[in-house]
Amino acid sequence: MVRFKNRWLLVEFIDTSTADASAAKEPLSTRSLDGRLIYNALRDSVVTNFGDTGWGAVGMSLTVKYFSPTTNLCIIRVARDHHRIAWGAVTLLTGIHDVRVIPRVIHVSGTIKHAQLSAIAHNRDVIARFRTKLKNAALHHDSYDDYLARSTREIEALQD
Amino acid sequence: MVLKRKGDDTEEMTSRERKKLKVAGARTIAVQPSVSTSGSGTVQSSGNALAGPSSTTVRFDSMQGLPASIDVEKFTEARAYEIDAMQKAIKTAGESVTHRVWQTLPRHLRRRAASHDVRRVPLRLRDKARAERGRSKQGKTKQVSRTESLLKRQRDKTWLETHIWHAKRMKMENMWGYRLAVTPTEKSFRPSHRASMHGSILHDSSYHSLIELKGPEKILRNVLDFCCDPQCTGMKRSMSGARVLETDLYKPRSYPFDLIAPVTIMWRPLPVGNTSAPTNVSPAEGSSKRKRKRKGKNNVLADTTQQSPERAIWVRTHPAVFDDIFAALQGSASLVLEAEKQRHKDVHAEVEIADLRGSVNAFEVMGPKASQVIKGALSSVVDDNRQEFKKFWPSLTDLQTTASLPRGIVIGMKVLDPRLKFPPKNAKLRTDGQPVTPEMTFPAAILAQSEIWDEEKRSVLKKPTYKKKDLDARRSKNLVPGTPLNPVRQDDRIPLLLIQRSLESPSSTHGIHGWTLVFPAGWGMPFLPSLIHTGTRVGGQRERGTQAFEAGTAYFPRDFPCTEFFDKHWDERAVKEKAKWNRTPPAKRANYKKLGTRSPWRADWEVVLGLPVASGVDENLVPAQRGPQDAMEVDKAPTVRPWLFRGPEVPTVLAKVTQMFNHDAGLLAEINRLRTKRGMDVLDASYRPEDLLKGALVMVRLKMVSRGAPNDLAIIYRIDDVEAKKITKEKGKTREGADANEPPEAAPPHTSIIGYVTAGNMSLSRGEGFAIGAIPVSVLLELQQQAQRNGESRLLVKIRDRAGMVCRAAYLDLLDS
Repeated sequence: MVRFKNRWLLVEFIDTSTADASAAKEPLSTRSLDGRLIYNALRDSVVTNFGDTGWGAVGMSLTVKYFSPTTNLCIIRVARDHHRIAWGAVTLLTGIHDVRVIPRVIHVSGTIKHAQLSAIAHNRDVIARFRTKLKNAALHHDSYDDYLARSTREIEALQD
Repeated sequence: MVLKRKGDDTEEMTSRERKKLKVAGARTIAVQPSVSTSGSGTVQSSGNALAGPSSTTVRFDSMQGLPASIDVEKFTEARAYEIDAMQKAIKTAGESVTHRVWQTLPRHLRRRAASHDVRRVPLRLRDKARAERGRSKQGKTKQVSRTESLLKRQRDKTWLETHIWHAKRMKMENMWGYRLAVTPTEKSFRPSHRASMHGSILHDSSYHSLIELKGPEKILRNVLDFCCDPQCTGMKRSMSGARVLETDLYKPRSYPFDLIAPVTIMWRPLPVGNTSAPTNVSPAEGSSKRKRKRKGKNNVLADTTQQSPERAIWVRTHPAVFDDIFAALQGSASLVLEAEKQRHKDVHAEVEIADLRGSVNAFEVMGPKASQVIKGALSSVVDDNRQEFKKFWPSLTDLQTTASLPRGIVIGMKVLDPRLKFPPKNAKLRTDGQPVTPEMTFPAAILAQSEIWDEEKRSVLKKPTYKKKDLDARRSKNLVPGTPLNPVRQDDRIPLLLIQRSLESPSSTHGIHGWTLVFPAGWGMPFLPSLIHTGTRVGGQRERGTQAFEAGTAYFPRDFPCTEFFDKHWDERAVKEKAKWNRTPPAKRANYKKLGTRSPWRADWEVVLGLPVASGVDENLVPAQRGPQDAMEVDKAPTVRPWLFRGPEVPTVLAKVTQMFNHDAGLLAEINRLRTKRGMDVLDASYRPEDLLKGALVMVRLKMVSRGAPNDLAIIYRIDDVEAKKITKEKGKTREGADANEPPEAAPPHTSIIGYVTAGNMSLSRGEGFAIGAIPVSVLLELQQQAQRNGESRLLVKIRDRAGMVCRAAYLDLLDS
């Protein structure tokens, strides 16, 4: 029996939109994005960079299976034969719907299970990196510290 | 699950749609809902987003290029949610869609009908199973009842009572008009062997035919004398009915030729009070016709009936040879009755021969635990007044193996319906360390009394009074759930026979012992679960044959050359194997021509014995020349008839024959002595002694000298003195790498073939290769002489598998010794 072989791309969209706007609040960020929007952007990218033949090769099987606005991780499914076209299109993306992003392909696998496992590993890796910075207290401060400071002040004010 | 329309009902969806929804649901990954904190200008996210807690804020300080402030906890919270969602997705995608609910059960709880019958799944999983299965088929039109559909399948074959139980767990085959279990579907060759050695294993042998003979004792004795093996020693012992007799049956008056099959003979014990002196008491029940006859001729008959009371005999045989055995018994009975008529012209003796197939069931429980299993599963009735039985029944608890009992002892008893006490518990051997004084059970006719011999009692019991659901209703009325049911007056009491059964050869320690349980028809299914519940394995034909093989005994029909059924059995087997061989591509099958195997499909005893083969190679070709040539050939019909020399006295007879100078005459004299012992005339003078010795085959056991295990139909060769000496010298030494350096030798010449192996395998109880085969008696005598010459105590031969290239040495031994 003929099997349909796929490739699953685990992509992280690094948000650079807010890096530009320093003064303004956060006009646009990846939090407003959606699987549908990413698909549209991807389609445009394929057509722009690889033409109609590229879209014809990849379009049937291209699907955005998962996207999380909070962590900016995206899982995209492509057929195995022309997955490099989709991969290239992802890499050449500069923005999705006026949100400037830098796509970074973290993992490519044949099953979604391994893409999911790789997402878990990536998350743990990121958390571990941030946690090491915990040791260097000067570089960060906690929102709870703020809250603690604020509430102590309020209580002291009441006491008086 | 996302419903497309509001009013959509789950019932409306077809099973396929439901499945698709379920799959889609299992495969989606949950996304942490994000509420956008910024104001206008953002696109509202749809789809997977729902209202929820706020998300993290990550602000970049463009000056430094590093995150200026981050909330570590909220950051990790978001990531943790995603990790959790991924893991859940992996789990549900793997579990819910790829496995049905009953696939999560362990193998021994899975049922084939679980795919369509929800009741076959344990309660806790039933709802899930109900959701999983599709919609039921069309309505009740054209519904054949289950009984009808099952009966339709039984038109050309007979099902045993326990058929459905076996069909669910074993591979079934049509054999001898019955549908029988060959082997369990689970891999159980070694567990079944272990069960026969250390545990217990059950085999439903209700397919064995039963023939009943009724008549005066002396007449019946003569009938048996004409047919049975004269070498059997237990005839007198078994006449009281306390023991069974296992012997071979021949065509009447033609011992030693025309062996038919081994049979088991049991006599009905005389009613109590008649054991010592046979009196003129007619049996309690009997045909009124015969009573009238006897009353009319009472005066004349008084003499004979005083000496021989009316007895009954049961003869249990293999079902395939039933017709032959029935005919043999009829022939023998007619001969005996004719002789009687000539002697006492006015006496009218009758022998009734009846076919009792299907009127009794038999289970064979083998293994050391068999006694405990039977004691635990069966509960004898309380009103049994026999002292011997009262001593015997409790002694079963401590019986470690049935070998402690006299061979073939018969115990008749009555038991309650075994379903009352279900689930049963095995009787426990005493383990408190104190020495158990074994109760000696002696065979006694009074112990063997049983009502199962009574046709009326059996017919009353053909249908159990209580069905399973009636018993379950009774059980539900118990105040304390789980208490066994108390027997009620209307409950059935079933008479049965316990017969000790042993597979053993006189000089070996590898015997397998157990019980045969004989009970009336209609009770197969009530008895089976009770016997099996505590862990008794169930075996089919293959296990039965393996038991005989491991015990070192011959198994009918596999190991009995020179019987008609042996030829039929091996012919069927040859057809199957040849067809398989033909189907296999030449590169993957053995090239028998090249290997030099003379007869790879069946054992050609005629060539081994040196007899002229009946028909040549080409049966389809008609000889071109006809006429006087054919007539001459017909005259020269071979006078040598092949026959099997078998019985407990074979070793002594052969020892005697070796002492004599003239082996042929010696053998003839012995055979004639045996024949006259049983009232048959000596062999016809037309049988030349040389022909008698020439056509004699004897069964042998073979044990490998060092390594290797022979297969079925392996060829046995003789070896010359030089080789024999080399083998005995090299026996002890095992060279490393000997295996790799063994060059394949050319096959030995066909003239040195002395026999074939009928059953060969690696014997699990011996730990080495073992085989059962047959060789001619003349060759056996030669081998004995050779062994004497070389100063050896054991006979040496070579064995080569029919597809093998290496001949391996083996020790040869008489099977009957």
